[in-house]
Amino acid sequence: MALSASVVAGLQHLLGPAGVVLTREGRLTYESDMLTLYKGMPDAVVLPTSTEEVQAVVRICREARVPVVPRGSGTGLIGGATAPQGGVMVSMTRMTRILELDLANRCATVQPGLINLWLTNAVRDRGWFFAPDPSSQMVSSIGGNVATNAGGPHCLKYGITTNHVLGLEMVIGTGEVVSVGGKAADRPGYDLTGTMVGNEGTFGLVTAITVRLLHLPEAVKTALASFASLVEASEAVSAIIAAGIIPAALEMLDDAMIGAVNAAVGKVYPDGAGAVLLIELDGPRAEVEAQAERVAAICRERQALMVTVARDETERALLWKGRKEAAGAVGRITAAYLLQDAVVPRSKLPQIMREMVAISKRHRLLFANVFHAGDGNLHPLICYDDRKPGELERAQQANEELLHACIALGGSVSGEHGIGMDKAKNLPLQYAEADLNFMFRLRRVFDPDGLMNPAKLLPSHPACGEGFRPARPTLPAGTWV
Amino acid sequence: MATGTDRLAAPATLDDIRSCVHCGICLPACPTYRALGEEMDSPRGRIYLMRAVAEGRLDVTETYTHHLDLCLGCRACETACPAGVPFGSLLETARAEIERGGRRPLRRRLLEAFIFGVFPHPHRLAIVLGLLRRYRRWGLQALVRRSGLLRRIPPLAAMDALLHDIPRTDGAPPEFLAARGRALGRVALLTGCVQRHLFADVNHDTMRLLALAGWDVVAPREQGCCGALELHGGRLDAFRARARALAATLPSDVDWIVTNAAGCGSALRDYGHWVDEDATRRVAARSRDVTELLVEADLPLGSLPLTVTYHDPCHLAHGQRVRTAPRALLGRIPDLAVVPLADSDLCCGSAGVYNVLEPEMADRLLALKIARIVETGARTVVTGNPGCLMQIARGARARGLDLELVHPVTLLARAMRWEDR
Amino acid sequence: MVVTTPALGGALRAIVGTEHLHEGGAPVDGAAPRWTAAPATIEQAAALVALAHDERLAVVPRGSGAALELGHPPTRVDLVLDTRRLDAVLEYNPDDLTVSVQAGCTAGALAARLAGRRQILPLDPPGWAARSLGGIAATQASGPLRQRYGTMRDLLLGVRFAQADGVLTWGGAKVVKSVSGYDVPKLMVGALGTLGVLLELTLRLHPAPDHEATWLASFRTPAHAQDCVAALLDSTVQTNRLEVLDGRVLAACSLPVSAAALAISIATVEPAVRAQEGLVKAIVQRAPGAVQTMGASFWKTYDRALAGFDGVTLRIGTVPARLVETLGAVQAVLPGAAVAGAAGLGALRALVTHADVSVLLPPLERLRATVGEVGGGVTVERAPRALRERLDPWGPVPAAALAVMRAIKTEFDPRGVLNPGRFVGRL
Repeated sequence: MALSASVVAGLQHLLGPAGVVLTREGRLTYESDMLTLYKGMPDAVVLPTSTEEVQAVVRICREARVPVVPRGSGTGLIGGATAPQGGVMVSMTRMTRILELDLANRCATVQPGLINLWLTNAVRDRGWFFAPDPSSQMVSSIGGNVATNAGGPHCLKYGITTNHVLGLEMVIGTGEVVSVGGKAADRPGYDLTGTMVGNEGTFGLVTAITVRLLHLPEAVKTALASFASLVEASEAVSAIIAAGIIPAALEMLDDAMIGAVNAAVGKVYPDGAGAVLLIELDGPRAEVEAQAERVAAICRERQALMVTVARDETERALLWKGRKEAAGAVGRITAAYLLQDAVVPRSKLPQIMREMVAISKRHRLLFANVFHAGDGNLHPLICYDDRKPGELERAQQANEELLHACIALGGSVSGEHGIGMDKAKNLPLQYAEADLNFMFRLRRVFDPDGLMNPAKLLPSHPACGEGFRPARPTLPAGTWV
Repeated sequence: MATGTDRLAAPATLDDIRSCVHCGICLPACPTYRALGEEMDSPRGRIYLMRAVAEGRLDVTETYTHHLDLCLGCRACETACPAGVPFGSLLETARAEIERGGRRPLRRRLLEAFIFGVFPHPHRLAIVLGLLRRYRRWGLQALVRRSGLLRRIPPLAAMDALLHDIPRTDGAPPEFLAARGRALGRVALLTGCVQRHLFADVNHDTMRLLALAGWDVVAPREQGCCGALELHGGRLDAFRARARALAATLPSDVDWIVTNAAGCGSALRDYGHWVDEDATRRVAARSRDVTELLVEADLPLGSLPLTVTYHDPCHLAHGQRVRTAPRALLGRIPDLAVVPLADSDLCCGSAGVYNVLEPEMADRLLALKIARIVETGARTVVTGNPGCLMQIARGARARGLDLELVHPVTLLARAMRWEDR
Repeated sequence: MVVTTPALGGALRAIVGTEHLHEGGAPVDGAAPRWTAAPATIEQAAALVALAHDERLAVVPRGSGAALELGHPPTRVDLVLDTRRLDAVLEYNPDDLTVSVQAGCTAGALAARLAGRRQILPLDPPGWAARSLGGIAATQASGPLRQRYGTMRDLLLGVRFAQADGVLTWGGAKVVKSVSGYDVPKLMVGALGTLGVLLELTLRLHPAPDHEATWLASFRTPAHAQDCVAALLDSTVQTNRLEVLDGRVLAACSLPVSAAALAISIATVEPAVRAQEGLVKAIVQRAPGAVQTMGASFWKTYDRALAGFDGVTLRIGTVPARLVETLGAVQAVLPGAAVAGAAGLGALRALVTHADVSVLLPPLERLRATVGEVGGGVTVERAPRALRERLDPWGPVPAAALAVMRAIKTEFDPRGVLNPGRFVGRL
């Protein structure tokens, strides 16, 4: 679908030629987020710098019934920032300002394009940080984090993005600018802030975000424990949680991933281990010391091959560098992979690990694991060669089987990446028709014309269509008629 | 030997592209992305375009060429990349393909013809610089500036602003300087083209410091250009010829080949990749930045009460991964305060001849760099690359800022208590 | 179609059984219901709502009845849906730190169940033990522990509810981390049952800390208390609870009266509690203030004092850096009021004994104006009906946001079945 001349002229008039990308070469680079399996080239990319401009873009598109797709840094893993139906992609990369820093009230207000880590960089010297830390935090935007309700290693202790968002400004599908929440506690009315976080752009475009900042802890201790296999490492994880210890982060990498990371950033993890746990404890020093001892003891009880603690900030940074760059480092072992994000109850980790090994063998595919074990949030990278016919299909089949296994154990289809195009078809595994219908209707309130990031988040399922009515309870008949 | 110009179409190079998993960690490291916020002017976007060309989804168009030309080749993305994508050589290969197709606008081609006809030729460069010196002395500069010619041809304006002071020197350091005391070994100095003519003192100081550090230093007089500019411009055949010639000129019996211009050093280290021969591989393996050797030495440094900041030349920090040695050396000068520079490894816009070819983007990056430098409060900026020295000095001049730009070697020489050894 | 009252009664009786359907029943905020039904299963609850929907009855969900005065006075109360029989703990997974309960389960009953595994659901609004978890969710009620653990919105992982037409609907997940689909639980928290009758909740639990120590810091002026809060927040001390108490609340707790006091608790392993004690005391003394160590019973006393208060209760939402202004504004307009609340979050409560409506109205408006300067507000949590008839108990909601809220309500409850007219904007 090409844009009409009047839409193009309207956008160019609004943003100037430098604010609208129309060349095929330019648009091509916007066809995918990190998950290049899904491609959808927008008809135009616009780069607004203010809320007013975003609103004007939405109004132009709405009038012409053109889809609007928001994009931050394009690091999503769900085919969220792609334009399968064409339309206008709104890049937030020129809205990167910190609008207000209010440390007395522990919060900051930022534009959506601001890179996650840059916020922490701006306040760390004064003792503060922004807690949500997706592994992409050195590049992903806070607007993108809000859109997907991003998690990260330290969300185990600190909670995911939604727990840190106090207020939002959003241009919703009707073209209105809506401000919700804010610095002050306990606003009356529906929790629209909480409802909007994680909407993946299907309600509209976030144009400003007020987030909570946390004080840096007194002490941080990062330990590395290695195990013979994923199963033993998983048992240690379950035991740590069951012992009532919630580490700041509890991450697991398997042997394939250890190899890739060591190749990327130097030998940071022990070779020859079947799995390693990266365990971080933070808080008051005495608490960290006490918990570290306990965690080390649990790991040893669970047959850890080795337990070491980073001696200084440099060693700690190196352990984390390996973890944070794992998804990129996998480029060293495979050219293409699928990334699963399902969740199981954390006590079921050993069980799902056994299942995963079986699936991997059955399909003769390499699974490289790097994940948030403490949350039960799996991230196997299912490696395949896209040049070998049929291998992608096998990888997809394996992916589906694993997902079904997770749901069968009481899990969720996505822990932190979101739904996008990738998981929409899987939502009915987790939700009944009535549940999907409720979500569809909620979406329609914000986006009555169905133009905001269409074809994402909800499946093209009967329950998500107009006119579907879920089954109502059967009433005792005849009593009152 | 495979001809490198064909590599992009060959599966081997497509593999290099394929190692990019599209994670985007490179984006914030990229100067043009920082300035524009556009995917197609980011490393990830450029790789995506190269891949589209390699896979036949896209032709080599003028727009494609423009996005690749806008790349500074600073290789900050390589430092950031967890997958180890060799962006620099991918870019050089892609530019070679563009070069063969001749798809650039005429004006740019003429400009490039001039640049590549002069800069890599020390003798020609000397003549042109001599002309420029006269151009200034005779008041022609003022005349030309008034004519409006510069405004209409931005690259000329960029060059005019860049070459502010042209010292009159013969450019050549001594051919040999013996180590003080017992020699650790023998090193050869690459004297560079621009370095030799515009920063001759840096070469002299480099030799004196190396000698004091215990090295016998040779500086062959008739050494040619290293070919860095041609490599970055995708003129691979010309580059290869230079690499072979230089490798043949430099003595083969030295322990190290020392460079003090980051751009040259980075090119030398890539010799083996582009020309897979004994001599070039040897040059690549033995190439070291001067700071890497000096940091191992025990230099008698005296007090230098000065506040400075350090800018990482891209081809030192990213191209050669040398970050700590220059900082460590500065840290050893008594009473010298080194204030950290935010985004110290973000390109200043110089990037070889980029500031002449893409003056607009170069100016934006320069403005950012100057703003960061001003934040530090330091009046002296230390950096080990002639391009950066000229570019930042130009930015300071244009803003009426009193900034001193010095090579680390110059600063060390200033702090040396020469009589102590 | 219109059905006669006796026939309707019969239909309701057929759903829950004779002994669990009463004509009339306890009044809701002064309004007598036509029926009160107490379902035993969520299916029964859903069937009640479906019937009400068809017959256009107004349904008012109730749990323990602690917060029935929250909101606009009801204009219609046809059917009170009493959740107290839905009190089961459905699934407790101690190794996962999650639990699923029915909405009528009280926080106290759940706490007793969790104690055996040394786990807690850290929600402690005044009188929490007797309150139903569904009620705490619907009213977004909170207490001192929110300083460390957040509120219901941070702990509710999944929720099952009956939509206005009786369709049983689930939102969220049963695992601690999930972003599959919209965050429906967040929409339900604090919605006062106007979008669905909450029936089952899946909640995130926390390990019970080994040891808790509490100190009372007294100050000569509120400004000193404010400085102390700022210093604590800008330190590495990990507070468990951080409450400000004014002189009247101190008196209600039978404590020595000062201009303002802070109740500060730290809860973790004992050595870490001890290690932080010195820092806490130093911060208090620097403010300057005087420190006194409190026994474990302090928080029970405090809870009882707040819960036992009989008068007008205001929920004041502000920011931590505006404690002095907020306390001052309350004192200026309501000289008899007592104030306490989460100092580190700016979530305060004002308790006013003097409930003469004509006297209260203008001060409340002025207080709203003051708090509104930082985007905060004042919600009337409890007050005589007469006051709430003349004053919007919720206060102003920005027009654009209210329009969205109205659109949501219209989408999900176009007939006005669920707690109609009581929420913001009389939704």
